[in-house]
This record gives sequence, structure tokens and C-alpha cells, in this order.
Amino acid sequence: MKISNIQRVKRTKIRLIAIFSFFVFLFPTSLLADGGGLFKAKCATCHQPHKNGTGPKLFEARKRWEAAGEGDLIVEWVKNNAKLRASGKSARAKEVFEQYKGSVMTAFTDLKDEEVISILDWVDAQPDPAAAAAVGTGNVTDGASETTEEEEGGNMWMWIILSTIFITIILSVGGVRRQLKISAGESSTQDDQSYLSEFKTWAWKYRLPFGLGVLVLVLSIIVTLFQGLYRINVVENYQPSQPIVFPHDRHAGVNGIDCKYCHNSVTKSKSAGIPTVNVCMNCHKQISGEGKPFAGEIKKIYAAAGWDPSVPGRYTGKTKPIVWNKVHALPDHVYFNHSQHVVVGGIDCKQCHGDMTKMNEAVKVQPVAELNKIEGNIKLTKPTLTMGWCIECHGAKNVSLGDGKNGYYDEIHRRLRDNDKSLYKKYLKDGKVSVSELGGWECAKCHY
Amino acid sequence: MRRTLIFGTYITALTITLFVLGSCVSDPDSSGLEYMPDMYRAPSIEVYVDNGEIRGKRFPKYKTALSALTPPNNSIPYYGKGDSMLVKLMLPYARKANILFRESHGLYGFNFSMFDEYALAINDKNPFLLTNKNSEEMFLKGKELYTAMCQHCHGEKGDGMGPMVMSGAYLGVPAYAERSALSDGQIFYSIYYGKGMMGAHNSLVTKKEIWTLVHYVRQFQNPDYGKFDKNGNPKSLVKMDSTVTKTK
Repeated sequence: MKISNIQRVKRTKIRLIAIFSFFVFLFPTSLLADGGGLFKAKCATCHQPHKNGTGPKLFEARKRWEAAGEGDLIVEWVKNNAKLRASGKSARAKEVFEQYKGSVMTAFTDLKDEEVISILDWVDAQPDPAAAAAVGTGNVTDGASETTEEEEGGNMWMWIILSTIFITIILSVGGVRRQLKISAGESSTQDDQSYLSEFKTWAWKYRLPFGLGVLVLVLSIIVTLFQGLYRINVVENYQPSQPIVFPHDRHAGVNGIDCKYCHNSVTKSKSAGIPTVNVCMNCHKQISGEGKPFAGEIKKIYAAAGWDPSVPGRYTGKTKPIVWNKVHALPDHVYFNHSQHVVVGGIDCKQCHGDMTKMNEAVKVQPVAELNKIEGNIKLTKPTLTMGWCIECHGAKNVSLGDGKNGYYDEIHRRLRDNDKSLYKKYLKDGKVSVSELGGWECAKCHY
Repeated sequence: MRRTLIFGTYITALTITLFVLGSCVSDPDSSGLEYMPDMYRAPSIEVYVDNGEIRGKRFPKYKTALSALTPPNNSIPYYGKGDSMLVKLMLPYARKANILFRESHGLYGFNFSMFDEYALAINDKNPFLLTNKNSEEMFLKGKELYTAMCQHCHGEKGDGMGPMVMSGAYLGVPAYAERSALSDGQIFYSIYYGKGMMGAHNSLVTKKEIWTLVHYVRQFQNPDYGKFDKNGNPKSLVKMDSTVTKTK
């Protein structure tokens, strides 16, 4: 019994092995290896399927080697390119190395032949996204925005022209009427009467309503005048044009880039900083937007950085500056320091600049009503970037309560607590020590 | 009556002028009327704003022609005096970029070397040693820096799955865990001059910040890195040079 059992087990084992090996021989081994997974794990750091990066694109790389008559050597190249180059049997290897001599390819001696082939199979099966996107995409968004702008401008001109026409008609009709009266000999005593004297007699005749009307008119003019004066230098909604269309929502929203990556001097300096073009190139060296409507905008970055995106891409060293228009510009007699507010005060960017992760147009000075809608913001009433706005926030913002996290304010808290307890208690009446109570309303804090 | 009329005429004239002026500044690139332009516009060249003023006169042709510039090459940041470590870090980075980095990473104007300085950087030590005293602060600062500077590509957990990669912008950000053979000096070199598709980050982070980041990313390779037990002894003996020591 025992023996037969063992034999049976042995037999089934043999059968299983036979079936298994049959399947293995039936399918090409390269299909069993996960080409896509291997590509992402081993190659994707330097190679992309359809774009040259640190290394050349791998789409139809095998074909290019075959064209050079060395189709069988590509596997050897992948596994150990230094060895292949040293052996001197491949001209293609030398060519590729010369073309990309900035970066030496890592040897992948742990890859099996069929694994290399599976990677190449997987890459060749990938459709080209640039070619697909190029079909049927025009400059749709740009066209739309231009037409609306034109319409607005056209409206304005239409009104001016219409009003001129109307005024001319009214005046000429009046003139004709007068001419007719004179020629008919109707008004013998008043025929020399000018418009002004005619108006004067009319005004005297109806002096009470006329006087009231004039009063109302003068008052309303004064009110409008003062309202106009109050709008001077209020820059809410100021949205200057920029040299490059930059969608903040795509960068900070979809791609989750921190504000401080591009505006990196915000923690160290008075100015938050517009990123230099080398910061743009940290990502855009790879992202050319080829075949997409915004490819033209990225080309402007390449021109500024001196990047030649042809194969293989290289920096030419011929750079030219991008001149951005400053949006949040304070008058010269005001001192504002970003690092003081962001690092010491711990204020979030969105308190003053709004939610940039949703901003899909050019940067503008967000009106205070928009800023108040954002969760976590201190609610203010005065227009953005005016002195009233700053003062209001300095009165409302609670600074750290000596919890040891903030060197500068902790020291002030300590001194207050130790030296003047009654004043400290007075400050704490509303449950917070505001910036203004620590000297944030002193003129010389910002004006010096 | 006559006087009020004259006053009214003046007011009307003023309002009309204001409106006319208001319509003149409807240029979208102008921020509007100012009360006293000489108090609003700096004669000196301010950050990103140059009004083109020379001795009280404005020259439109000199108006802002440059913006967003990197610091001049070989300029030295000033971190303050006192700590000899920081003073040392003010000096330029001793390792030079390879000559090929000019074309591959756009590092024109740097000092170059014909040698493979990346390979030489293997022996560079992290000057900031982790101790049970400073490790918490170091990692807090590291996290802050990492979130701002690295996370969008390398991912919150250092697995190469940052939002840039997840949104499909590009592929191929390696995971730190796969690169545990790198030395501290090489990580520093890669951040400073860039490597492969990654650009040079020397204009974004100071050398002190890079060394802090080097400590921080080591965590992704070894979760016990920089952790201490109750007695202040390091939890894990890290094989790299920035090994943790106990301080009293």
C-alpha cells in the first residue's frame, strides 16, 4: 500500500511537471516576465517610452539596433554595456555612448535575457501619447479668451460713437429749429437770444425744482468724487499680464507642488521670490507638453533656460531673462517682510493670496471678499493690500502664547509675564495676545 | 448763487477729469492712480521692480529688464558668526560638478572638474551628527524641508510616488529604499548638482538644509534611523558615516 502510494504521488508529480513545462514551452517566456513592472523598477529612472531623457527613448530601440545590424546585441548592452563597449564588437554601442556621454548606463547583470526582451516588448506595445494628443487639439482656450476681450473693447467704443452721434443729432436739431424760427419770423424780440439766456429764463421760471435738482446733482457729484478718491491706489483685482501663461491650479493643485518649492525665498527673505528658470527646468526638462495646447508656453521656458529639446536635449548656455510683472507691489514707503510673516508669524500663504490650488488664470490681487471665503482665514473687511487691511489683521491675529515653539514671541511673552503681570492679564482679556498688543500698530514697524 | 455755480462747475470739471484719468489707466498692466508716485515708486531697484529712475528722471527704456535671477556664481551666503560648523558651511562646496553637467544640467559658470567627483563624494561625512538631543529637532526641520522641496516627486513616504508621479506628469522617480547603497556624501552631491533627470537644487536649499535632508531621507531606508531608546542609545546602528552617538 505504502509503496503504491508513493509511486502514485511520484506519477502525479511527473505529470504535473510535464503539463507545466508544456505550458512554459507553449508561451514565449518573455510573456511570463512582467515587462511593464520591470521597466518601471529598473529603467524608468532614466528612460521613458516615448521621450528622450537622461537616456534615449526605448520605444522601438530594438528596431534601431536592428537597423544598425546588431539586433542581437541590445540584450548584451542592457545587461552590461561597459563590457560590450570594451569588447569592441559593436559600433552601435559606441554611437549610443557618445550621444549620451553625460550619463553612463548602469549595468543590469541580474536581468535574464528573456526579461530584457519582455521589457522591450512592453515598451514597443505602448501607444505614443503625443501623437494621440496632436490629433484634433487646437488652441481652443486662447481663442475664446481673446474674443471676449475684443467684445468688451468693442462695446466701449460702440458707446462712445453712439453718444457722439446722439449729441450731434440733438445739437443740429436744435440749430435747425432755431434757424426755422428765425426764418419764419416768429420770435421778433427774442431772435438774438443765445442758448444761455434762454436757459436762464427757463431756470428762473422753475427755480424751486431746478434749485433742488442742482443741489441733488452737486451732492451726488461730491459723494462720487470722494468714493473715487477712496478707490485710488486700491489694487483689488489687479491682474497684470504675464509673459508666460502659468496655471497655478495645475502646478500647486493637480501636481501638489508646495508653494515654497518655487517661491523658496519666502522663508528666508523679504521677498517671496519668483522662481528662477532653473527651478522650472527641474520638472520641465521632462515635461515638454508636446502636442498639447500649452506646448508653446513651455517653449518660452526652454528659450529662457537655453535648453535645446532636440535629441538628446542639452543646455546651450545661451539664456535670456523672463520678465514677470509684479502683482502684489506695495508702495515704497511700506516695509513688508515675507519671512517675518511666514516663519515667525506662521501665516499661511492663502491668508493673503487666496487658494492658489484652484487659480487657473493669471495671478491677481484677490479681493477681501474672496479671501474671507477660505476656511481658516482671519476674516477682514478692508480692501486687500491697503493699510486698513494690514492693521485689521494685526489687531486680530493671535501670536503664540509662549509655548516654546516661537523664539521671538516667546521671549516677549516671557518678559511680559515676568515684569508686568497686570498688563499681561489686560492683554489676555479677549483670550489672546494680538500682534498689535506686542507693538504691531507702531508706525515704525512698517514705515521707516 | 454765482459762487455756488462756479464751485459746482469746478467740482464737475474735477470729476470728469478724474473719470477721464481713470479710463486712461484701464491698462491692465498698471495698478492704477497713485496719490504721490514719488513716495510709491522706489528710485532704487527693488525686487522685480525697476522704475528706470536715474537722478530723479524716469527712463522707460531702463524699466525692469531682468527678473528672477539666481545668485551670482561663487557668492557666499552669510549664516552669522559663532558656530564654527556654520561658518565652515558658508564656504563653497568643495566638490565640483563634472564638466558634462554644463550641457546636461545647465550648470554654466560653475567650477568644473574632469574627474567623477560623484564617486569621490562617497567619503564625505555629514557634519551634523545626530544625537539624542538634536535628532527630534533635526527631523522636524527635515520634514518641513522635505515637504516643500522633495515631496511632490519623491512622495511623502519616499517611495517615489509623489503627486507629480501620481498625476501622470512623469515616471521614474526612484524609491529611497532601493538606493540604500548611497553614501551621505553622494546624496548631498545629487541634491546639490542634480542627478539624471533631477535638476541642481543648490539655488533652492542651503548646504545646512541639504545635510538636514540627508538625515531625513535616511529614515525611508531604515525606520529606526535617528531613533533613540530611553537611555539615549541609538536604536539602530547605521552603517553610514553619520552614525549616531550618545551625548551626556
